[in-house]
Amino acid sequence: MMPTSTRGLLGHFCTPDEALAAAARVRDAGYRHFDFLTPFPVHGMEEAMGQKRSWIPWVTGVLAICGILFALGLQYWAMVFDWPLNHGGKPFNAWPAFIPITFEAMVFWAALGSAVVAVIAGKRDTIPQPPPLLVETGATVDRFVLWISATDPRWEPAEVEAFVRSLGANGVRFVDVSGGNDA
Amino acid sequence: MTRHEMSPWATVQDDSQLTGRPLVVPGAGPYGGDLEIPEPLVTGGKKWADVDRDICMHAERFPTRRWWLAFGVALALLGVLVVSLAVLIYSGMGVVGVNHPVGWGTFIINFVFWIGIGHAGTLISAVLYLFRQPWRTGINRAAEAMTIFAVACAGIFPIIHLGRAWFAYWLVPYPNARGPLWVNFTSPLAWDIFAISTYALVSIAFWYLGLLPDLATVRDRATHPWRRRLYNALSFGWTGSQRMWRHYEAAYMILAGLATPLVFSVHTIVSFDFATSVMPGWHTTIFPPYFVIGAIFSGFAMVITLMTFMRGYFGMKNYITTNHMEAMAKILMFTGMMVGFAYTTEFFMAWYSGSEWEGFVFKNRAFGPYGWAYAIMFTCNAIVPQLFWWKKLRRHTWVLFTVSILVNVGMWFERYVIVVTSLHRDYLPSSWGMYSLTFWDYSILIGSFGLFFTLFLLFVRVLPVVAISEVKGVMDPRVARSAPTDSGAAAVTAGAAPGA
Repeated sequence: MMPTSTRGLLGHFCTPDEALAAAARVRDAGYRHFDFLTPFPVHGMEEAMGQKRSWIPWVTGVLAICGILFALGLQYWAMVFDWPLNHGGKPFNAWPAFIPITFEAMVFWAALGSAVVAVIAGKRDTIPQPPPLLVETGATVDRFVLWISATDPRWEPAEVEAFVRSLGANGVRFVDVSGGNDA
Repeated sequence: MTRHEMSPWATVQDDSQLTGRPLVVPGAGPYGGDLEIPEPLVTGGKKWADVDRDICMHAERFPTRRWWLAFGVALALLGVLVVSLAVLIYSGMGVVGVNHPVGWGTFIINFVFWIGIGHAGTLISAVLYLFRQPWRTGINRAAEAMTIFAVACAGIFPIIHLGRAWFAYWLVPYPNARGPLWVNFTSPLAWDIFAISTYALVSIAFWYLGLLPDLATVRDRATHPWRRRLYNALSFGWTGSQRMWRHYEAAYMILAGLATPLVFSVHTIVSFDFATSVMPGWHTTIFPPYFVIGAIFSGFAMVITLMTFMRGYFGMKNYITTNHMEAMAKILMFTGMMVGFAYTTEFFMAWYSGSEWEGFVFKNRAFGPYGWAYAIMFTCNAIVPQLFWWKKLRRHTWVLFTVSILVNVGMWFERYVIVVTSLHRDYLPSSWGMYSLTFWDYSILIGSFGLFFTLFLLFVRVLPVVAISEVKGVMDPRVARSAPTDSGAAAVTAGAAPGA
């Protein structure tokens, strides 16, 4: 009965609370290659799924420092070495006047860099077989969708299906490689 | 979720049933105190599936006649802008009223005016996010769009004011063949370039990051394969995976945290254009906070103006409720009082400084030949918002709308007063003069509204005007959930959710 080319199993939940409870049980059952697709961020889902905090703030910090160094370096080099001008006898290295641009450069690097890295990280930080995009899961509407990938070390179709049903999921179904549904 | 579990508001069917007051349950709160349950942010007993349809609807059908009418007017005004810019560039700046002694007239006034408008969008999207104000979800998308379009309008003016707009790229520091020629990094005008361009780009990034999940929603509703492909590409293949949300949430928080000091820095730097000069009336330490709060004040007025249209014409009353409008009215009154406080503090500082020139400039400001402009400014900004002490007026659509227009007028005159009165009578009485606007001064101002409204009307046609995923997050799951189905999936494409 089981399809041979199964890629994973979908189960649907109707509320964030049900999804949180299910995620914790999937985590505790020892599954690793699973994911939740939700229409909005569910608070506490990171812990429930056993994920660590996002490392994006470190990227922000490094980029902010880069922005500061770049802006200070450019201004200092241009105003002191490359094109020193005497503005009313003021020092060439008028560093307090460099602060506004330094601040803006810090925000520019940190903000844009974090946004870009977060999008790329979100695409790359995934399980070996992510939930196929083309399956109509309703996860952008009102469904909280559990996906367990067939690559999971504990994958055993009948067992997984029974387990997901025991979580109270509805619409439990296998999904094959081609992205079509196989109920 | 405890707030939702206690919520007795499932019966609020209509915006008009909202009272603006929480339900108080005596003794049910922590430590035996009262529990206050706020009214729902979304009315009409909406389900999550309804949100998608209600908000995406405007981008999924042919434009209505009313939209064409509005768009026609906006396009006509945009035409006015294009013609004005062509004339200004072709014949030079002499066609506007900017001349000795007022060399900073219409361009700087309109620049500061539009940049100020933009600031409320960032305040709503970033500052209210950090302060955990859930009501921001209904208005933040449109307010952020307003920010971007207002910055686009603002950017035009300083470039034209350069005189030779085609050399505007000289403002950007890059290695060039004009000798080792750099911009003067210690000049506030160079700071402006960095501040405004950073502000524009970070605002766009923040706005687009917020759009990603909603673009995926539009994709999943699309029936045409090309529309599906387009929105899939625009959403970078968003699936709603928790592994995406994890980084997304972190980045969103960080961008909010960075946009908050950014928005304050931008108008601070704009005020430095004035404050670092030696003109009496400009050379004051109060300028940065005074400009920032004025910017937020004027921006909130514009948000109220736009939201009134969205409620009325786009049927968004269930998402942008009277309670949202009242919250904005409160902010408008609060910032209006701060602006009024700044106006009076300026007079105190002028007197307390003992400087004859400062004293004269402020007397001249309020009672000189431009006293009428000062009177408009003070009335519209400091006095009219006092109406919002009355709850009934805060919740009255037409009162809100009228006040928001008056505040916009008042804030334009604030910049007029600041720029013109300090320049037209400075240290040397033999150099005194008057400033009068010409036809082209008016046309470029009116035309900039054309650009603003054209962009805004296009925005409401192609993108979700309310942050769908954020609104879903503040809805009561008991009301918003739909029943489980055998197939699991909800009605994604049909648009006929159960209970709709």
